[in-house]
Order: sequence, then C-alpha cells, then structure tokens
Amino acid sequence: MSLNNFSYSHTIGIASFLGRGFMNPVDVRLDSKGLVYVLSRSNAGNQDVRVSVQTQDSEFLHEFGRWGTDPGQTTQPSAMAIDSDDRIYVTDEFMHNVTVFNREGQFIDRWGESGTENGRFNRPSGIAIDSEGNLHIVDHLNTRIQKLAPDGTFISSFGTFGTEPGQLNFPWGIAIDEEDSIWVADWRNDRVQKFSNNGDFINSLGSSGKKDGQFNRPSGVHVTSDGSIFVADWRNDRVQAFTSDDTHSETLIGDATLSKWCQEFLDVNPEQASWRENAALFEMEKRFWRPSAIESSDDGLILIADSCRHRIQIYQQERAMAMN
Amino acid sequence: MTTATSARTDVSLIAHLLRRAGFGVTRDQIDAYTAKGYEETVEELLHPKQEEAADQDLLDRYFIASVEARSVGHADPQWAWRLATSQKPLEEKIALFWHSLLAVGGVKLDHGLEMLTEIELFRRVGLGRFQNILIEISRNPGMMYWLDNQNSHKNAPNENYGRELLELFSMGIDDLGGGAYTEDDVKTAARAFTGWASRPTPPPFFLGPFPMEFNFDSSDHDDGEKTFLGETGNFNGEDIVEIIAKQRATARFIAFRLYLFFVADEPNEPEIERLTDVFQETNGDIRSLLRSIFNSDHFKSEEVRFRKIKSPAELVFGTARLTDRFDIPDMESSSLANQALFMGQHLLNPPSVEGWHEGEEWVDSGSLIERINFASGEVGRTDAPGIQRMIERVGTSNDLLDPEEFVEACLDALGSIDLGDRSKSVLMDHASQVGPFDSDKPESEERTVEMFQLIVSTPDYQYC
Repeated sequence: MSLNNFSYSHTIGIASFLGRGFMNPVDVRLDSKGLVYVLSRSNAGNQDVRVSVQTQDSEFLHEFGRWGTDPGQTTQPSAMAIDSDDRIYVTDEFMHNVTVFNREGQFIDRWGESGTENGRFNRPSGIAIDSEGNLHIVDHLNTRIQKLAPDGTFISSFGTFGTEPGQLNFPWGIAIDEEDSIWVADWRNDRVQKFSNNGDFINSLGSSGKKDGQFNRPSGVHVTSDGSIFVADWRNDRVQAFTSDDTHSETLIGDATLSKWCQEFLDVNPEQASWRENAALFEMEKRFWRPSAIESSDDGLILIADSCRHRIQIYQQERAMAMN
Repeated sequence: MTTATSARTDVSLIAHLLRRAGFGVTRDQIDAYTAKGYEETVEELLHPKQEEAADQDLLDRYFIASVEARSVGHADPQWAWRLATSQKPLEEKIALFWHSLLAVGGVKLDHGLEMLTEIELFRRVGLGRFQNILIEISRNPGMMYWLDNQNSHKNAPNENYGRELLELFSMGIDDLGGGAYTEDDVKTAARAFTGWASRPTPPPFFLGPFPMEFNFDSSDHDDGEKTFLGETGNFNGEDIVEIIAKQRATARFIAFRLYLFFVADEPNEPEIERLTDVFQETNGDIRSLLRSIFNSDHFKSEEVRFRKIKSPAELVFGTARLTDRFDIPDMESSSLANQALFMGQHLLNPPSVEGWHEGEEWVDSGSLIERINFASGEVGRTDAPGIQRMIERVGTSNDLLDPEEFVEACLDALGSIDLGDRSKSVLMDHASQVGPFDSDKPESEERTVEMFQLIVSTPDYQYC
C-alpha cells in the first residue's frame, strides 16, 4: 500500500523479556526531551511487564515498573501518560491504581483502588493529560472517564454503558487535543468518540467493519498538534489517519524494517539469520499485529506501538502535503 | 417409580452426562438441562455452534501475549478461560481428548500459538469423521514438526510419524506388543508422508512467533508404488489415512480410547465391541459414536457412575465452574491452568507423544493434597455467585434438616453428586455432632460451606 501523507522512518524494538527490548508493548510516549517510553504488558502471569526508556535512535537507557504489587511495581499495566515535568503515570488493571514515577523511573506515588466510588477504579486503562495538567483516565469496567488532579484527587467524571451516541462499551485509549477536547477509543462499539472537556458528547467517528473509516475494536486514539487524528484499528491490524474534519486520509498496515537491535541480534546469531532467510516472510514481518497506541512528536514523527511484534514503528508525517 | 424419584433420577443422570461430556455443571444448569430432557441435551452437546466465541476480543485484550503466544506459558490463559467458561462443554472435552490422543507437546514445539491452533482444530473437527481428523492432524504443521516429518525426505524417509500414526493414533498395539500392521507398513507409511512438512518460519527470538503453515513439497514426495496393509498403489498420505480408517483395528482402538475417556477407567469388552461396530457402521463418525455412548444403557447405569478418576483438568475446571465467578478474563482464570499443572497435567504440553496416562495414575499423595486443597478453596469462596446460590439452595431445602437430609442437600447443591457409604457415614457423623441444620441460624452459611469443603475432600470427589 503506498503512502501519500507519510513516509516510513524506522523501527525500535526487539522481543525481550527484560532489558533492551519489549514484550507486547501496549503504549508509547515521548517525554520533553524526545526520549521514547514504551510500556510492555505481556501477560501478567509471565511477569515481563515494565516501562523501557530509549532514545529515538535505539539507545536503551533504563527500565522501571517491573512486575509486582509493591510500590513502584506494576502487574497488568495498560497505559501511560507523561506530564510537562516528565512525570510518568502508569495505569494498572490488576491493582486498579495509578503509579507515578519521575523521569529516572523512581517511584513517587500511587493512588487508586478497586471500587465504583469517585476516585476508585475498575480496570483503569487509557490515560491522558489536559492543558491544565489534570488527568483523564478511562475507568473502563466502570464505563466512565474520570478527571483527577495530578495527586489523584477526584474532579469529575462522565460516561454510561451503551451503544447510543455518547455512551461507551469497554473503552480503552484516550487522547486530549489542542482544544482540550477528549477523544475516547470506544473499543467494543467500534468507534472513536469526541467529548468536550466536561464530558459533553460532540461527535463520533467510525463504525464496525474493515473498510476505510471503519474499525474492529479500536484500542488507541491520538490527535496531533495540527489536528490529525490517528486510530489504532486493533483487530484490523492497521492504523487509520483522518484529517481534522474527520475525513479518512490514510491507512497504515505496517512497513517495519529490521530495528537496530534486531539487526545486531541477527549479526551475532548467524544461524537465526539463516533461519529467517530460509523462511523469507519478509512482507509479513513488516506488518502490524495488534497495533495498540500512537504517539507523535512536534516535528511530525508518528510512533506506533506494534504490540504483537514487540516494536515501535515510526513514520514521518509530511505535514506540508497533508492535512488542514 | 414415583414422580419425585423419577425427577431425582433425571437430575442424577443429567449430572452424570455433564460430568463426562463436559466438566460438570452447577445445580441450576442441571435443572435447565433436565427440563430439556436427556436425549435433547445429548444432541445439544453434540452440535456446538461453530463460531468465534463472543468474548474472544476480551480474552485477546486482557491477555495480549496469548494472541501471538510465544510459549505454552503465554498461551494457556486462552484455553483456561474456555475450559472455565465455555457453554459448549463437549467441544472443549473432545478437544482435550484429542489433545491427549494425538498429542503434540510444547516441550519440543515451544510455539504457544501453534498449540492453540491445534486445540482450535480439535474444536472444529473433533466431532466429525475420524478419517478427516487424521488427515487434518497430518496436515497440522505443529504435528509435522513434533514428529520430525520435516526431516522425512523422498530419498531418506523418517519413520517417526508413520510409526506413531499407526501405533498411537489409530491401530494401536496388542497385549503382546504387536499390532495389526507390520514393520513394512510403518516404512510404507513413512514413504507416503514424505514431502509433508511445515513451512519454515522466522525464528521467534526477535519478532515473536509467526503462524505455522503446512507445506507439501511434491518434489520431495515419494510417489512410487507402495503396498500398505495389503493394498497396493502410488499412495500419498491421504490414501494411507483412508486405508487406516477402514481397519477394524482402528475402529476398536478409537472405541477403546473413547470408552476410557468418557465412560470408565476399566474397559468393558462387550461395550467396546459394540462401539467398534458403530465406528465401522458410521464410517468412523465420532459424533455418532458419542451419541451411541451417551444414550446407551451401559453409560446410564450405576455401574459406571463415579468410576472414573477425574483428570486434573476435570477436577480443576469442574470445581471452578461451580463458583460461576468468571465473568471477565483475569489472572484468577489464567491461574487455573497452573493448578492443573500442579496436579500433574500441563495443558498444551503433554509429556510425550503418548499423551497422558489416565486413571489412577493421576493421583499420588502429592497430587491428592493439591486436589483437596484446591477444591476446598474453590467451594469456600463465599463471595462467588455460584457458591452463594449453592448455599441458598441448601438453606431453602427445608426449614430444619436432620443430619442426613443436610448432607444430601449439600451433595445435591454441589451438582447432584454421590458418595460411597463410608464417606457419607463420616459426614453424617460430623453433621450429627452439631445437630439439625437450621437455615435461620447465623452460623448456617459457615456450616454449609464447611460441609461443601468436607465433601470435596473425600476420596469419592476424585471420581466423576
């Protein structure tokens, strides 16, 4: 599939249970310095979870938030957000809480517990930060979006279960645009919904299916600074891009090349390289498998967490050619 | 027979059927099946709807590593969830049967994704014709890899698959260690399956596993004339399977294995002979064989009830299903596979191509403690909706229950199970020490749960 508004840039990642590499990355975020934070989820029972920090040029720096229930550990992490001070907030679906780390990965705080009351959660998933520094968290089994202060103090919430416009069905990802509107990946309704900052329904994007503009369990949504909308069309194994007026503009199916780490692995394991050459599934290697989340940089990089291929595929958005 | 006695008989029979054709059911489900009738229930079990489970998306979301399962350990949350929650119990039970009979082990294959694909294969074709099942498993890339058929070439056949196909998958061996086939038949089968292999996949170490695919390489296939089980021709693998499937020895072997799995640990020769005939009359249709088993007087008789040692999977998932606590995939559901492992059954990883040895071999002193602790813990979950309904059922049985009535009410609530006289006597002695059961007393819930735990701790509960 040709790319009109994008060019493929490069890929970061290698399958790894610890250290350099990822295991089923479900979220990717950039901090103020452009470092890439990747949240590996794996399966809780396999204990491969962590947040990994690396440069955009694949220099692995460190990791934190490994498996466990103690402060500073995560069990079933689902998403993360980074605030203007580079504090990292990680939601955990098993502990029903949010853990806060500093940029070095040191534990700062955690809050939240299981429940339906304000400020409590039932499997918190997507998390995003608005222009005032408040957190918006998809409290997905309570079918609501909770707005909290950075210290976890409850501010407000909205959302009801259902299929009508404005209602939610197992929501997952969330994004805040430049106008502080809230975008929610309404996962089991196969759509993305836009709400005002106080939770008033604005409009809906997409329907069930495989055509352009349709979704099969969208997991992540991201809005760039120029208003372009990206949706991780999870079960269709693709990412769709839309202009700021909701017009479909591009479908990405994955263009990965070997990452620097993968190339190094094959260089020192020639028998594995030979095995790969013999299989010759080079086209299949490129494609997304359950892309989960999207991040962008101010200079037009689009980073996509390619969850079941243990990597981040990075594109360059050609903004001058593209959208409004 | 009085109406009440007849009703109890119906309930008991349905419960027996569901323990064998599934993993046991709650008392409420027994009522629902009883209302449908026995034979109607058998037909429902035999015809599961072939469709993706409605909650597959949820399972993939919460266990993302199972979508591209790298290893058995990454894959087992998927099957554990199905075993704990499926409303198509025979579909899972027949998958477990074939998983042990046509065994592929994760210890060598180490490809969780392919292991799950194999289970899905058994769900899809496991109730169909045996010939088709054998063809499908012969085209299963995991099986081809497991039994070295990718190393079987036109000029150098590897006999592993041909040998196991005859010895362990279809015709079996007799008491003297021989079979209704010769060493030459093994060699011929191996020749016929040359060129059958799995397509190479990239190594999983840097991008995770890739789905495996079957590959037939005609240039590496021995297309020469072959004589197999008395027939001669330019046989390919399909021809070999077709010849195997019409042998009386195959019919008897499959009838024997189905009997041991679904009916009793001790074989009954007349019944196995009858089922052998059914196999041949129906061209090896497994659905017809199971129908014949479940509707037979022999299966319905007291003679075979509670005469089978529960496998770890039956014990774990049968007991866990009583709790009815799995409404959404979580770590609790995925941990059930580990419980079966602790009792000696590593799902998706049978110990060898022979599968698991069933019957009394399941239980030793160590696994018995695991079994009792697990079952006792499950029925002690008073916050689980299934356990609450069981408690309520005992509480509403009568205002005041004498010790015998109380024990019987608890046995009924646990799914109409039965105990031998000795165990029942011990339980009634225990109940008598406290006196009549009064559901209005505050300790009634605690007393009921204690009795549930005592029941599942008896030797009798190890049988289904």
